[in-house]
Amino acid sequence: MMFPSTVVFFLIGASILLILVVVIRPSITASREGKILAFLALFIVPLVAAGVGASEHMERSEQTQFCLSCHIMEPYGRSLYVDDPSYIPAAHFQNHRVPADKACYTCHTDYAMFGTIQAKLNGLHHVYVYWFGTPMHPIRLYHPYNNRECLHCHAGARSFEDSPTHTAMMSDLKSNKLSCTTSGCHDTFHPVDKLGQVKFWKPTE
Amino acid sequence: MRRKLRISGILLIFGLVIEALSLCWNSAISFMSFAVFGGMFFAVGILLFLYSLVPSGAYLNNN
Repeated sequence: MMFPSTVVFFLIGASILLILVVVIRPSITASREGKILAFLALFIVPLVAAGVGASEHMERSEQTQFCLSCHIMEPYGRSLYVDDPSYIPAAHFQNHRVPADKACYTCHTDYAMFGTIQAKLNGLHHVYVYWFGTPMHPIRLYHPYNNRECLHCHAGARSFEDSPTHTAMMSDLKSNKLSCTTSGCHDTFHPVDKLGQVKFWKPTE
Repeated sequence: MRRKLRISGILLIFGLVIEALSLCWNSAISFMSFAVFGGMFFAVGILLFLYSLVPSGAYLNNN
């Protein structure tokens, strides 16, 4: 994770140095070499630095820490530490069934062709609503949770495929006719309204 | 042209500094400051540089 940041900071530093040369001595642009330097300093290198920076920001926006940086998401972050295996997000997070540093993104992105782009656009919309609008309370999903997101990891896994309950309804699960989150199955998620009544798991340092 | 180059360079430096600062934190605020303020300085700086490349009317008349 440090490597891309180092590259970005190096590019930013190099870009600032090149720009300073042109800003301090603009007369160098009288020569052909000076014009090329100015073109590099004021166009090419800043564009590359901005592009690499944007890419780094995009990568970071998938991290759990990023999602929880908005105040409204704090209870959802706390719910990942509920000490009860029936809470699906908590069980996945605590047992590293999803990467702990990308817990939100792993479950709340669409595993479809433009899922990542859609997730980023939704994220921008969330930030806009958080600052300039009225966020819904409690937060609800845009659409009912799609089994595709569960099956992205669980399909083919022995514990999932060997379960007689799953086997009996496999075609309905795979065609999304029957939701994994149907009442009575895996229907317990982020208990943000019950955080005062549940026990929390404290990870050992 | 030189004045435009200077202003363009200063705007780009502001954009780069904002980018560097935004990368010191991992939060929605740092991302938005990069996208909005950094992006604005980048866009204006680069457009001003490109505009400075366009020959002026006097230059065209003399040639």
